[in-house]
Amino acid sequence: MSTRPYTKIAGAVVLAGLVLLALLVWYGTRVPTSTLADEGSDTPDAALIQRGEYVARASDCVACHSLPDAAPFAGGLKMATPLGAIYATNITPDGATGIGGYSLADFDRAVRHGVAPEGRRLYPAMPYPSYSKLSDDDVRALYAFFMHGVSPVAQANKPSEIPWPLNMRWPIALWNQLFTEPGSFAERPGQNAQWNRGAYLVQGAGHCGSCHTPRGLAFNEKALSESGEQYLAGALLDGWYAPSLRNDPNTGLGRWSEADIAQFLKTGRNTHAVVFGSMTEAFNNSTQYLGDDDLAAIAHYLKSLPGDPQRDGPAWQYEVADASAFSGPGGHLYLTQCAACHGRDGKGQVPWIPPLAGATSALTTAPDSAINISLNGSLRVVSAGVPDAYRMPALRGQLSDQQIADVLSFVRTTWGNRGGKVDPQAVAKLRAHTDPASPTPIVLHMR
Amino acid sequence: MELRINQKTYQVDAEADTPLLWVIRDDLGLTGTKYGCGLAQCGACSVLVDGNVVRSCVTPVAGVVGREVTTIEAIEADEVGKRVVAVWVEHQVAQCGYCQSGQVVAATALLKNNPKPDDGQIAAAMVNLCRCGTYNAIQAAVHDLAANLATPAAPAGGNA
Repeated sequence: MSTRPYTKIAGAVVLAGLVLLALLVWYGTRVPTSTLADEGSDTPDAALIQRGEYVARASDCVACHSLPDAAPFAGGLKMATPLGAIYATNITPDGATGIGGYSLADFDRAVRHGVAPEGRRLYPAMPYPSYSKLSDDDVRALYAFFMHGVSPVAQANKPSEIPWPLNMRWPIALWNQLFTEPGSFAERPGQNAQWNRGAYLVQGAGHCGSCHTPRGLAFNEKALSESGEQYLAGALLDGWYAPSLRNDPNTGLGRWSEADIAQFLKTGRNTHAVVFGSMTEAFNNSTQYLGDDDLAAIAHYLKSLPGDPQRDGPAWQYEVADASAFSGPGGHLYLTQCAACHGRDGKGQVPWIPPLAGATSALTTAPDSAINISLNGSLRVVSAGVPDAYRMPALRGQLSDQQIADVLSFVRTTWGNRGGKVDPQAVAKLRAHTDPASPTPIVLHMR
Repeated sequence: MELRINQKTYQVDAEADTPLLWVIRDDLGLTGTKYGCGLAQCGACSVLVDGNVVRSCVTPVAGVVGREVTTIEAIEADEVGKRVVAVWVEHQVAQCGYCQSGQVVAATALLKNNPKPDDGQIAAAMVNLCRCGTYNAIQAAVHDLAANLATPAAPAGGNA
């Protein structure tokens, strides 16, 4: 008799739980409205397809949705997440295995809302938190390009390797609620047209923040626009330090002019740096294809983001290194392994071979980029169809962990650099992590 | 662009980032300078630029405009270079010889900057690779020359 109230309470709790669960599932699988829902999918004109190709370049879709030396946009790239590996999908217009059956509204929901047909949530490895800022016009053009400018490829998608129950997708809708901003990009009234165009490209298609903005505990970008101080403030990802893109003179773009930034994105190099690490792919596939006006706009916008002296410290200044600076093992290694290209004075041979004096990788406290490029060298930089004449060689076979630590400790404490010494343990860790022959190669999180 | 190589002026039509080595060998036909690794690792392509040794495979040609380049072909026009060649012959340093033009250029640069290097300084400066393993002969030759360089050139220094 006395158990009856408990049963009632328990029943009520279970019922409430079921209702809540049903609500969550409804919420997590509901198909959001698309502003493009009422439009037909007529065969577009060539100009729209061409415009869409440009948006696809700016968005660097090919970086994830293709494998090297395979058909573009056919998917298959493996990306590790903390829960298990996932694979980029086929986004060619193949009816059976690609997105050939997508309406414009379906396409819009995938790109800007992260929702596939039937309401299945995409993993945010797809940078829809950034693409949500794309304009209706650009989404229309992008759709026209993928439907009519891309060759269909029949290649089935690989299922993700995330185990049940972690592979349930509906909780992502809650993540979206917390960490994405609704609506496409809205121009800031106080800013000029160039600034707004730059902001649109950087925050939207360019999805620069995917690498350059630090992430929170839920793997969310800490800010999606300049309204947050952490926006593009630099982050560690995939074994590389993606530098700050704010006006930080040491770890960011503080010493770069707008022309320097535009030149870097157009040619892959300037007097401060040459693209390396993950940025090589972004350059090879994306930024160099943007028009000069757009690159100038991006540069203009980035230069408007203030630096943080607290985080970045006093601005780097070149200091001459006399002969005694080279007396240790690191200095000697530098002279024999590095100086032929980067110069005894650390100034490189700009713009072809980058300086190490004042380099971001030598000024940030994170040694990852310096270690990674020393172990693994640089990827081929292809500018306007011409491969680079000079490339950082991979030294993993030649130098021990201790030697790489010694020479990088030298580089990171000489010529005014103050990134600090490098621990051989950190080299050993990244060496194992980036060994292509190891069973657990580089963890590719997001691009 | 205009280059100064071995006291001569050349007009060269090349991209700014073309490696100096390619211009020297392919455009100007000065093939004494060798292509080894192409990665600044081996030193076979060493030449002098304003008296300092550089690896021409990683030197963008635009960077040497207005500077004086010396290749192995003209190394004996230099007083120190002439004595290096002589001592190389005296010690019969070369075996296959492929790396030796780079070795001679590196030794010349060392001795021009530091006429009396000690053995540690010689080892630290002579880092070009030699697959025949002539390192001991190189060390001995440079060591001898370092000891004698303070005195005027001996007339009997056999010349190549």
